[in-house]
Amino acid sequence: MDTTTSRTETQAAAEREIVTLAPPVDIYETDTAFVLLADMPGVAPDGLEVIVERNTLRIRGRAEEKTGEPEYQEFELGNYQSTFAITDDLDTERISAALRDGVLRVEIPKSERLRPKKIPVATE
Amino acid sequence: MDPRSAGSPWQEMRRLQQQMEHLFSGLSPALRRPLTGEYPSINISRSDDTMIVDAACPGMERDKLEVTVVGESVSIRGERKSEADSAQVRYHRRERPSGTFARTVVLDERLDPDRTDATYTHGILHLRLARAQEAAPKRISITS
Repeated sequence: MDTTTSRTETQAAAEREIVTLAPPVDIYETDTAFVLLADMPGVAPDGLEVIVERNTLRIRGRAEEKTGEPEYQEFELGNYQSTFAITDDLDTERISAALRDGVLRVEIPKSERLRPKKIPVATE
Repeated sequence: MDPRSAGSPWQEMRRLQQQMEHLFSGLSPALRRPLTGEYPSINISRSDDTMIVDAACPGMERDKLEVTVVGESVSIRGERKSEADSAQVRYHRRERPSGTFARTVVLDERLDPDRTDATYTHGILHLRLARAQEAAPKRISITS
């Protein structure tokens, strides 16, 4: 790893007034859907964007502005952004998104043909 | 190779860790968290009569979120359950912390527990803690 470059990027990010963070995410798969959860503390529903474009899902959140600098600071409220690749096997027409207590939940159903089907076995 | 570092692998580990911390310092709190070992991350501000503690803890169950104030310290306890059991679903990424947590912050001020106000909005726990009367600055009028 080129530490010199990383350090410069880190400094540049710190100097920018509003930081952009990649939120920590969970992605899990059920029989019928993919679910994505992203931690975006400080983001209100009107500061959130969920955009599906071709084969990408983009999430973007803007944390509510805070007044004043804290005298002791461990976290920074800023902008969150991440982009995920999605395959044609997902039904993006029926995507749903909800934001609750700073957690974004996006559910994308699988296309019909991808869902497991139980085949009834006929007994004689 | 430097014989000192060869004789002390831990020293070398520590050095590497410090480098890592340096690299991570500009990244998200989520990446810093395992290194500092404290959850949730907090910010502290102060005004004449209040101390404000903000804690970033999204997705908490409200009835499991607990704040206690004793003397100069504030404790925050809570629990966040995983939404889905890994036995039932298949995880592709798992970066969000879950489980129970407790963090105690000692402020260098005596606090008045009867005048503490807590709100939880958009995943941020916002505590307004009143400084005990004797700690608040008093304006002394000067007579000539």
